[in-house]
Amino acid sequence: MIAAKEALVLLLAGGVGSRLNILVQNRAKPAVPFGGIYRIIDFSMSNVVNSGLKKVGVLTQYKPLSLMSHLGSGEAWDLTGRTRGVKILPPRTGSKDSDWYKGTADAIRRNIDFIESNPTDEVVILSGDHIYHMDFDAMIEYHRSKKADVTVAMMVVPKSQIHQFGAGITDNRNRIVEWEEKPKVPRTNLASMGIYVFDRRYLLDSLARDKKDVDFGMHILPHAIANDNTFAYPFYGYWRDVGTIQAYWEANMDIIKKESGISPEKWRIRTNFEAEGRAADRPPVRFGAEAQVQTSLISSGCTIQGTVINSVLSPGVVVEKGAIVRNSILFSDCIVKKKAVIDLAIFDKQVEVGEGAQIGVGEGHDIPNRQHPKHLYTGITLVGKGVGVPGGVKVGRNCVIDSYCRRESFREKKIDTGETMSKDGEIS
Amino acid sequence: MLKPTTLAMILAGGRVDELNVLTYYRPKSALPFGGFGRVIDFALSNLMNSGIERVAILSQYRSYSLINHIGTGAAWDMLGRNRGISILPPYIGSEQTNWYRGSADAVYRNIDFVQYYEPEQILILSGDHIYKMDYQHLIAYHREKDADLTMGVIRVRPDQAHRFGIAALDDEDGERGGRVASYWEKPQEPESDWASLTVLCFRPEVMYRLLNENQNDDSFEFGRDIITRLMKAGGRVYAYKFCGYWGYTRTIEEYWQSNMDLLGREPRIDMEKWGFRTNLDHRGIRDFQPVVIGDDATVHDSLVYNGSVVDGTVRRSIIFPGVIIEKGAVVEDSVLFFNNHIGRNCRLNKVVADVNNTFGEGVVVGAEAGRQAEAVTVVGWNNIVPDQVVIGEGATVYPLLGSGRWKKVIAAGEVLR
Repeated sequence: MIAAKEALVLLLAGGVGSRLNILVQNRAKPAVPFGGIYRIIDFSMSNVVNSGLKKVGVLTQYKPLSLMSHLGSGEAWDLTGRTRGVKILPPRTGSKDSDWYKGTADAIRRNIDFIESNPTDEVVILSGDHIYHMDFDAMIEYHRSKKADVTVAMMVVPKSQIHQFGAGITDNRNRIVEWEEKPKVPRTNLASMGIYVFDRRYLLDSLARDKKDVDFGMHILPHAIANDNTFAYPFYGYWRDVGTIQAYWEANMDIIKKESGISPEKWRIRTNFEAEGRAADRPPVRFGAEAQVQTSLISSGCTIQGTVINSVLSPGVVVEKGAIVRNSILFSDCIVKKKAVIDLAIFDKQVEVGEGAQIGVGEGHDIPNRQHPKHLYTGITLVGKGVGVPGGVKVGRNCVIDSYCRRESFREKKIDTGETMSKDGEIS
Repeated sequence: MLKPTTLAMILAGGRVDELNVLTYYRPKSALPFGGFGRVIDFALSNLMNSGIERVAILSQYRSYSLINHIGTGAAWDMLGRNRGISILPPYIGSEQTNWYRGSADAVYRNIDFVQYYEPEQILILSGDHIYKMDYQHLIAYHREKDADLTMGVIRVRPDQAHRFGIAALDDEDGERGGRVASYWEKPQEPESDWASLTVLCFRPEVMYRLLNENQNDDSFEFGRDIITRLMKAGGRVYAYKFCGYWGYTRTIEEYWQSNMDLLGREPRIDMEKWGFRTNLDHRGIRDFQPVVIGDDATVHDSLVYNGSVVDGTVRRSIIFPGVIIEKGAVVEDSVLFFNNHIGRNCRLNKVVADVNNTFGEGVVVGAEAGRQAEAVTVVGWNNIVPDQVVIGEGATVYPLLGSGRWKKVIAAGEVLR
């Protein structure tokens, strides 16, 4: 028997993740920084490697540059060597159509040649934008023991959330007997995690059947459930789809809560430090004589002279004397000048907040962002990459400051709750 | 083949007895420093930042840790077709049966390695010192002077001069340097305060000749034997003045002090500014998550690296990756190497703890509460200190003690082995 470890992995990393707003302005969702030093895709990549799987194809489409440089040669995940490897699979022009990937199944269909050239009994299909810890080897063993054509990893979620997922109804053998994609009225609380183990031959046949079947959840799975052997693989651990700002913020905060069940280090999550260039060699965190830090995750290269509470800081963040950072996520190399106060905000890289400025002011947590009421409605304010906030400026709740808003773009001393500021200083 | 113009050789074999239990299992050059690196990283980072890319390391004392640390050399960007770090251990051959008998002997035994590269100058460095220097400035001075040997020198306190190689200079080039008129190795009564940094730039053929002649002597050290021999022969020996920070750290106190020089408002050692690099693959520190600071933690005036979890109090200390400090524990003026575990309500005052120690609940190490310790207390690696044990100020605990060795109180200054 061929060991489970021979299975081929296809990682879908092309998603736009548009609800993450300016965090995905210049990068795909899997490349969004997470937990200080990681990127979202590190979780899937590390799970693959820790499961003993060795061959991975990463399907990219949307703004892949940041993602590609992060994956590099695959060495960070020990995926270089004669029998192992990571291949980036971008959309290509075929002999007939030059279209982009139209859906998850369509993306896999256009890379059938990759599957053909890596013949294995099973193909594991994953999404690159979830935070979780899972052993795929055990799932493949389960798939075999059930003699399944397809196995879908599923977990119990609150019924109120089932409308975001593919939902399955199973019989007492865990065989999926009914399927509803994003149902309005929940009949079950068992949700698909977007992780599939396919019998390779079965996958190829399914994809060959009808080119209009472009999505696994919408087309391929319902057909398989109706006609063939589809099983649910029950999962009980920590798993989050960090597709919204609120979910992304919560999952970050989970790392600093000891009881949350998420621990990148214990999960053996690896990241590619080299992609950050010399940033990799950052010295230890420097705590000043008056630093006050509580319940936080602080990465190497940070300098903390002020106060940091309940926050996640990426490498190289500077918090000056008298400054306060609370309930916030700051990406690499942000600078918070003296006496500035940051509350409930997410900063992309290289944001500089001037002396005494305040980000996250007022009680309007429930007044949503006017431009994107579905993205920001819990009070979190987003500040884009490279923004320079002048000293003394006040920014309210649920605001968005667009990437590269320079100090001179700020015409007002105040940006009210729910407002969005664009590069040219226009406020809407 | 593209030949390097400068070949660097790092002397990294020394144990340094005064560093005691810290160098039982590693040479001094592999001693942890700066919260995530090793002492030799300073010389290697200087070489990288000076654009010198062909390097040999001479090592024989417990080299495993060092070999591990160097890895492929990629950490210092010294992996490529014309770049590389070679570790040169002692070997036996038809005419060779001995260990390296000294630094000069070590280089002599590898003379074929050196000659293969046909360098225009050979830079001999110590892997034991903490400093930042652009060697190209020294090399430029060496070439300008058409010197046989140019040595880096630094001014030291007169009462310390007897510990070093001391050069008397003329002031030919003022602030930059001058010709060495006399040289003494560790003189009883020093006549100058310019000490050798063990940064020696040689004209290759001169070095080959000196090493060859030295083989008939019974001592084989660069300072004591090679430089004095060249001075006697009337060679063109110049000194290049260096005025930055230099951490010599030959005693536990000095080692502790240079760690403290990393702290403060304006640290004397600034690794970020110095372009310091280390090998993040060594002990797998690249895979550690960011520092976790707990709900009731206090961290003041300290350096803490990824992989540490702080729930207690840390003041004026250097915390290496993977250190866990539990609730109620207080760590002050201390240096904790990789993967120490400090139990609840422990108190550590002026302690250097080597890797992988576990301190049980309520253990007290160093001066009693409220008093500033004078002597450093040193704990060797892989010890499990039982709950409530008291280790007095200035005590030394040997590595890997069996559980039967422990007692309730280890007196101040006692050596527990």
